[in-house]
Amino acid sequence: MENSTSCPSTPRWNIERPFLTGHFHQEIKHSSQHTHYKGYSSETFSPGSKSPIGCYHASVQELLMIDDLLSALVGIEGRYTSIKRVSGKDGRFKFQVDASMDLALQELAKRIFPLCENFLLMNQFVESRSQFKNGLVNHAFAAALRALLLDYQAMVAQLEHQFRLGRLSIQGLWFFCQPLMGSMQALSSVIQKSSGENFAGSAVLNLLQSQAKAMSGDHVVRSLLEKMTESASSAYLSILERWVYEGVIDDPYDEFFIAENKSLQKEALVQDYDAKYWQQRYSLKEDIPSFLSNAAESILITGKYLNVMRECGHNAQVPVSDNSKLTNFGTNHHYLECIKVAYDFASGELLNLIKEKYDLMGKLRSLKRYLLLDQGDFLVHFMDIAREELAKRLDEISVEKLQSLLELALRTTAAAADPCHEDLTCCVERSSLLKRLSTLKDLDVNRPVSDSNGLEEPISVTGLETFSLIYKVQWPLSLIISRKALTKYQLIFRFLFHCEHVNRQLCGAWQNHQGVRALKTRGTGITRSSLLCRSMLKFINSLLHYLTFEVLEPNWHVMHCKLQTAKSIDEVIRCHDFFLEKCLKECLLLLPEVLKKVEKLKSICLQYAAATQWLISSSIEMSSGTATTDSDSVLKFEREFNFELQTLEPILNSYSQAEPYLKHLAQWILGVKDDH
Amino acid sequence: MPREIITLQVGQCGNQIGMEFWKQLCLEHGISKDGILEDFATQGGDRKDVFFYQADDQHYVPRALLMDLEPRVINGIQNGEYRNLYNHENVFLSDHGGGAGNNWASGYHQGEQVQEDIMDMIDREADGSDSLEGFVLCHSIAGGTGSGMGSYLLETLNDRYSKKLVQTYSVFPNQMETSDVVVQPYNSLLTLKRLTLNADCVVVLDNTALNRIAVERLHLSNPTFAQTNSLVSTVMSASTTTLRYPGYMNNDLVGLLASLIPTPRCHFLMTGYTPLTVERQTKNIMVSSYARTKEASQAKYISILNIIQGEVDPTQVHESLQRIRERKLVNFIEWGPASIQVALSRKSPYVQTAHRVSGLMLASHTSIRHLFSKCLSQYEKLRKKQAFLDNYRKFPMFADNDLSEFDESREIIESLVDEYKACESPDYIKWGMEDPDSILTGEGSATGALDPKLST
Repeated sequence: MENSTSCPSTPRWNIERPFLTGHFHQEIKHSSQHTHYKGYSSETFSPGSKSPIGCYHASVQELLMIDDLLSALVGIEGRYTSIKRVSGKDGRFKFQVDASMDLALQELAKRIFPLCENFLLMNQFVESRSQFKNGLVNHAFAAALRALLLDYQAMVAQLEHQFRLGRLSIQGLWFFCQPLMGSMQALSSVIQKSSGENFAGSAVLNLLQSQAKAMSGDHVVRSLLEKMTESASSAYLSILERWVYEGVIDDPYDEFFIAENKSLQKEALVQDYDAKYWQQRYSLKEDIPSFLSNAAESILITGKYLNVMRECGHNAQVPVSDNSKLTNFGTNHHYLECIKVAYDFASGELLNLIKEKYDLMGKLRSLKRYLLLDQGDFLVHFMDIAREELAKRLDEISVEKLQSLLELALRTTAAAADPCHEDLTCCVERSSLLKRLSTLKDLDVNRPVSDSNGLEEPISVTGLETFSLIYKVQWPLSLIISRKALTKYQLIFRFLFHCEHVNRQLCGAWQNHQGVRALKTRGTGITRSSLLCRSMLKFINSLLHYLTFEVLEPNWHVMHCKLQTAKSIDEVIRCHDFFLEKCLKECLLLLPEVLKKVEKLKSICLQYAAATQWLISSSIEMSSGTATTDSDSVLKFEREFNFELQTLEPILNSYSQAEPYLKHLAQWILGVKDDH
Repeated sequence: MPREIITLQVGQCGNQIGMEFWKQLCLEHGISKDGILEDFATQGGDRKDVFFYQADDQHYVPRALLMDLEPRVINGIQNGEYRNLYNHENVFLSDHGGGAGNNWASGYHQGEQVQEDIMDMIDREADGSDSLEGFVLCHSIAGGTGSGMGSYLLETLNDRYSKKLVQTYSVFPNQMETSDVVVQPYNSLLTLKRLTLNADCVVVLDNTALNRIAVERLHLSNPTFAQTNSLVSTVMSASTTTLRYPGYMNNDLVGLLASLIPTPRCHFLMTGYTPLTVERQTKNIMVSSYARTKEASQAKYISILNIIQGEVDPTQVHESLQRIRERKLVNFIEWGPASIQVALSRKSPYVQTAHRVSGLMLASHTSIRHLFSKCLSQYEKLRKKQAFLDNYRKFPMFADNDLSEFDESREIIESLVDEYKACESPDYIKWGMEDPDSILTGEGSATGALDPKLST
């Protein structure tokens, strides 16, 4: 009970007055060790009755004994009975009787003693468990026991009345006590277990329930225990009720099986890559009441959903009718149905809220548009106007300038019609894509053995390699599009962005070739060069085509369909995460070996594109003179490019066993091989 | 507005197909006949600004220049229901209105005469755009104005806007029947030279094929111009879909063309469209014709781009693409990687069609050379007879009986045919590397003497 500091403490008078609380029996354990017959009570009630009972006639002995037994039944020592603490066992007492008594009477008395002992035990339990720190379940259980003990005391009083009327023999007493024995025994064994282990909360409920089950042969005891369980759990159920109907944890004594971690803030979702808000803000504890164990997960989720709605300022209250009160958890499983209704309501309502009011699909669509380049015209314009800025070195780039250019590009293209475009900002990251990938340890990156040597930064990283977009996501959509999800989007974007860049450069090279079509080109390196340009364009187009058309679009399509039918927000999150994971993987981002090869190819393309203007003009000059050496540099590029492309093939093939999508990529990039 | 495209419509045919093209664009973008956005056209996501600009806040005006040497067609447009759509300052009609008399040389010469007026118009239009991507020219190659003046325009554009792309939609004459224009082979040949040397991309619209489609597939016994023109406008609008409805790729003209065109001169594209619709009859058809000869079996695809419009399940498209490649349903060149691409594009939400999906194929195919060969052979026949040459000699280019322009054109077309033929063989790359002087003597000097302005 870590939380016990917060509950009120028991007032001192409660502890200082042992007779008010039945606490005096505790005292006995100190005093009775020495004074065997000297209880406080015996001295007041029978001064001078020192003669042993054996000196009386048996019939007198019986009367004395009944009198003593009636006291003992409510936990008071008599003239010839005494209470002794059993050493070793905590709080266990034993009644003893004067050994000089008639043996037959002794025998009967001993039969009744367990009842007295159980009473003492229960009484003590009731008192101690009524203290604040023991929690609501114990309070409720103690209250139920107290009610039972009141009945019991009433019974003893009636027996005493009979005794005064002279109608009660010791056999009669035994006769009336007998039916109680079983119930009292069962309860006291529960109590012993519970106080022995200092149970609280759901542990008590579990204990009561399992005992009730164990007693299924004894109808009376069983129904008593069931009644006790019901009374004890009513407080617990009202905690549960508030949780599943309102999403509030009203649990002053920390008994409920759901814990709230207030240190996890929802704001972390948009900032922290490893935000655990959704997973750990509310969590299940160890001790779940067994009758709820099957439903625990959905109870947790129900409240979680209601909480999200309340955080959104939305009325989060499951409509409650008389029928849906969680009053008991009897065998009819009514409570399970109530929980299910509440769960359905909460998940349906939240899903509706997120889909309709917060327009989840719209946001996902615009993420797809901007970060996955579904509608890439804004990027064409952006790259046109930001070309110079992006080509600078990292520390020279002005992010503000890029931002204003980005806004301009968004305003003047088809994106202008989309209100979400204002949520887009840009950033320039510090490291290249490969490096960034290697820092994200939780991604399932397929690391080759020789990982360490290949990761040094390229000498000049420019904005073209590190430019990325940020999309502002608001609560509660940040549950789905968390920082982590956004990072994955960004990784894909950066890869696509750079491919687009290479494509543009090659298009420029192509246009350079177009410029010389009026010349006599046969016999010069130009034809060769334009065919190499075509191969490169083919490569980068195929790659882009594969990425967008074979990876992003179909996977998005699948996710979109799944989201339409999703039943809960958790399912939505799962689908979305799955989508991103699959895309990352199929976009080669988790295969550094392949990715490195592709990057190498791209860099050859870029070098070639940068050199075309010069290659072409030199080809033209050469063709007039010596016609043999002119195409050397073209050949060099061609050799390099073809070499890389050819070495890519076995790599793709070796991976394609495990990752079948790579076969498609190979087909796109390398063409269909029909001779194998 | 980025990456704008200016359309130039030249001659009778050019203006007719241009008009149909704008009609189609207006329909697709929800723009009314007066250039005002319709009330229902609220779904964004399309790019109107590539082909239109907004004059004031209301009117969308086509970035189009309408040029002709005789007033009939343009007057028709100016009195037609779309009269308020165009910018009337962008209309050029020659003063005399006499046309070019189906004479290439006349059209070329007249173009030269009015060069300043026309270039002023083009410059003004180009200045009005942020980052002009290029020009689209609509014309036919058989008549006088479209071919002659169009040729002149191509040369001038190439000179003046050397960094901009020039794409043409060129209607090739009907070769099955005897034409009313007897000098058609001359005109075609002279225009083809400019198309080869001065355009970045030529989309071949073959009247023969269009007519055959109309007759055989759509069962129109006597297809009118309007009917064939609407086929053309469908092709034109579909081939610009990726520019107007942006997607993952091909969002600019250069990207679209660069992936299709292998070498600078082999830039003639064929088109296929499915389903074609004229007055609710639909068929799946290739628009550009194939020569149905034995040689056709040698013909190979160099590259293919399929533009698919409408709601498609991308996985399905991918599977069928896979099938095409694996079963080798299509013959591809052997000297380089086969390039077959698909662009998925949205369909206009404002145009209701009976079909969920429609598709356009743009392809670079070697069989296009048969079209050129036919032009050549028709020219040879005419040239042998020295027929009708007098009409040409009247103009400066052919003055003093200087017919070298014809010979030059013929050689360029021949070398183009050769290059396409070489594409069919597996060692095309070697062909490109060979020194042609050893095989074809004389070609070097002929091509070397070409327009020296272009050599930078």
